[in-house]
Amino acid sequence: MIRIERRAATGWTDRLLAYVLAIAGGLAASALLMAVSGADVVEGFSALAEGAFGDTEAMRQSLIAAIPLAFTGLATVAAFRAGIWNIGQEGQAFAGAMAGYWMSLQLAGVPGAVAVPLVLLAAVAGGALLAMLAAWLRTRCAVNEIISTMMMNYVVVYLLSYLLAGGPWTEAGSTAYHQTPLIADSFHLPALGGVHLGAVLALAATAGLAVLIGRTPLGFELRGLGLNPTALRFKGVDVGRTVLAVMALSGGLAALAGASEVFGINFRLRAGVIDGLGYTGIIVGMIGALDPWGTLVTALLFGALANGALYMNVLSDIPSALVPAMQGILLLFVLGASVLVRYRLCFRPVGETA
Amino acid sequence: MTDEPVLSVRRLTKSFGPVRANNAVSFDVGAGELVCLFGENGAGKSTLSACLAGLYPPDGGDIRLGGAPVRFASAADAIRAGVALVHQHFVLVDDFTVLENIVMGHERGLFVRYQAARAKLEALCRRYDIAIRPEARVGDLTVGERQWVELLKALYHDARLLILDEPTATLDLRESRKLFRIIGELKAEGVGLILISHSLDEVMQSDRVVVLRQGAVVGERRTADTTPEELTRLMVGRDVARAERGIRHAGRPCLAVERLTVARPGAAPLLDEVSFTVAEGEIFGLAGVAGNGQKPLLEAIAGLLRPTSGRVLIDGEALDELSVHAIQQLGVGHIPDDRLVEGLVGEFSIAENIALGGHRDAFARGAFIDRAAMRAAARRAIVDYQIAAPSAATAVRTLSGGNAQRVVLARELAAARRVLLANQPTRGLDVGVIEYIHAQLLGKRAAGCAVILASSELKDLITLSDRIGVMFQGRLMGIVEAASASLEDIGLLMAGKSREAA
Repeated sequence: MIRIERRAATGWTDRLLAYVLAIAGGLAASALLMAVSGADVVEGFSALAEGAFGDTEAMRQSLIAAIPLAFTGLATVAAFRAGIWNIGQEGQAFAGAMAGYWMSLQLAGVPGAVAVPLVLLAAVAGGALLAMLAAWLRTRCAVNEIISTMMMNYVVVYLLSYLLAGGPWTEAGSTAYHQTPLIADSFHLPALGGVHLGAVLALAATAGLAVLIGRTPLGFELRGLGLNPTALRFKGVDVGRTVLAVMALSGGLAALAGASEVFGINFRLRAGVIDGLGYTGIIVGMIGALDPWGTLVTALLFGALANGALYMNVLSDIPSALVPAMQGILLLFVLGASVLVRYRLCFRPVGETA
Repeated sequence: MTDEPVLSVRRLTKSFGPVRANNAVSFDVGAGELVCLFGENGAGKSTLSACLAGLYPPDGGDIRLGGAPVRFASAADAIRAGVALVHQHFVLVDDFTVLENIVMGHERGLFVRYQAARAKLEALCRRYDIAIRPEARVGDLTVGERQWVELLKALYHDARLLILDEPTATLDLRESRKLFRIIGELKAEGVGLILISHSLDEVMQSDRVVVLRQGAVVGERRTADTTPEELTRLMVGRDVARAERGIRHAGRPCLAVERLTVARPGAAPLLDEVSFTVAEGEIFGLAGVAGNGQKPLLEAIAGLLRPTSGRVLIDGEALDELSVHAIQQLGVGHIPDDRLVEGLVGEFSIAENIALGGHRDAFARGAFIDRAAMRAAARRAIVDYQIAAPSAATAVRTLSGGNAQRVVLARELAAARRVLLANQPTRGLDVGVIEYIHAQLLGKRAAGCAVILASSELKDLITLSDRIGVMFQGRLMGIVEAASASLEDIGLLMAGKSREAA
């Protein structure tokens, strides 16, 4: 007889092994998908790898693609570790980009050393405020944050559509493109070694979030909130205030994804330019086991996948739509592994009872 | 009607792991007879009724219905055989109507015949004078009305044997009388009835009383031949010895509770004008059947529950509007009754649980958690409180109940510089740990703390307390000196009889 038993504890080696196996399994399943769709698996994977890591330029592009995913991934970590299901990284990223752009309009002519920090600050505030609205609705009106954050994604995206499609931010004479005019050079994020400032910020945010969760009173409450809010309340923690702080943190991180894309790469706000970063960020945070450093590593992997996919699309006849499918497959395998690793199979002769 | 009893139980036994919930229980219920099961919390009454209603399979013994042996595989089996249980905790679907709740589980074939069911339900309501609309949504009903739906569910299936598990707990006096009128009608129709109640007033309206203690029948009396005093004595057991606790420090008043009231919309208040004081170096026991306001009282003092009116004072200072955290800072420790839900974060380490609540004060250094201080405090607690754990980093989830409770004790006794609130601190623990916790409570008393101890173990209360307050339906029925109190006195107060009336 085979029975399934819960393990008392899982060591980090068990978990690492489970994740490695899950990613290998996910890639194997992706290969199967490629083969079934009639493509050459070897050619596909080698094109993918070359596009992602083939030369320094490929690696630079992979790194740049990873930056916004790191931010939305960290936003997921902050909220989900606290048991708050913020699905609004998408809207919060847009809100950050929009608040940053608004600030840049106010600061015309101000030198970059002053302007860039202020733009980033405005972006963080924009994303944080949007997320705090959902937190307030949850603590005051018992509105489920999954619903509110998700719905706000649409509100923000359509607000941007209005602003860009003939609204006040629309570039003069190019209504059809649904974009703002180019942002002045002084607002561009400075580049370091060919990669914009966002990379440094993402690294700092990862370290900062790890320290905050592991070492500070707010992080202590954040983790406790996700595990047992009742015990926190009994020990005098103001749970409503903690939810507000956690959502502000999460929204602020997501906002940096939008701001870094607009002020580091595109230099203008355009409809659709950051679509999907928020939702992918949820997958990145989950595969990163809701750990800041794990999330950073996953973001790098996903950045490479996204960048390699562009190359694969050009070089082979494999549709780039396979990449989101691969991301989904990887998520399922990793989530499955994270549950399975908590159990073990017990083999027992028939007839003997526990 | 034949002489054969409706229900005959012989040597029924049911265990949960090592715990014998029912041990060789035997009793009969005749046609048209109301038999009361009487006993303390955990005496095995609810388990017994669950076995009779097919919810649990008994481990041994016989159940006969009208002389024929039965063995129920499920509650549906029991209902078909004519045994209906009216639950203490409602098992209703809030979003269904009264009618849907009643036919639920008994649909035959492809379509539910609502017309017929509705006609039958309306006839029942008319016959027993119960005012409930069949199409009312259960979620919109008051707690009292839901109790009637539970009863209708049982009546709908033409029960031969009806088991009522604390049916009046949620009814007001007028509705309780109505229930007993209906019980009278059912008796006249020849239905056998089992009533589980803690209220002696109700117990005395039955025909026969079966007293349970620790899973076994300890006495059976014809109600006409017994008194509330005798029943209480049977329920609690006779010999209670008081431990030597040293002389009482006649301290000054430390904690004062004045006319504390916590109202609820649409239901009886959780606390109703409760007033008492506790002196320094005194253990004030709180007795009462579970759910009569002990938990809300402790939570209101701790600041977790906002009073509707009345106030709490510590050393003469009113706690009005103070946060839970601010009250804890005044030197109030609180041992909640559900340690793994309210007391501890299971996935947190011992060190983190010790720091919980002090993580912004004693265990913070600058912007960070002082992990060294946290670990040091946890190591001290492990030694001082003899917590069996490999290290301070052990997750409390993996500890035994007794060791987990020691973690709560370590934290709360340190916090309790002035007042200690202890709600069922020994529940579910083995004898060794219980004695240890009792010693700790007496230690706090000797140190001059005002201690409130709520417990369902009357013996422990009498052993440990200086005075005992007895709660019934949110009210403090009376306060007795533990040294001179008799079990009968406390038992009568617990059952809602004030001393003058008893």
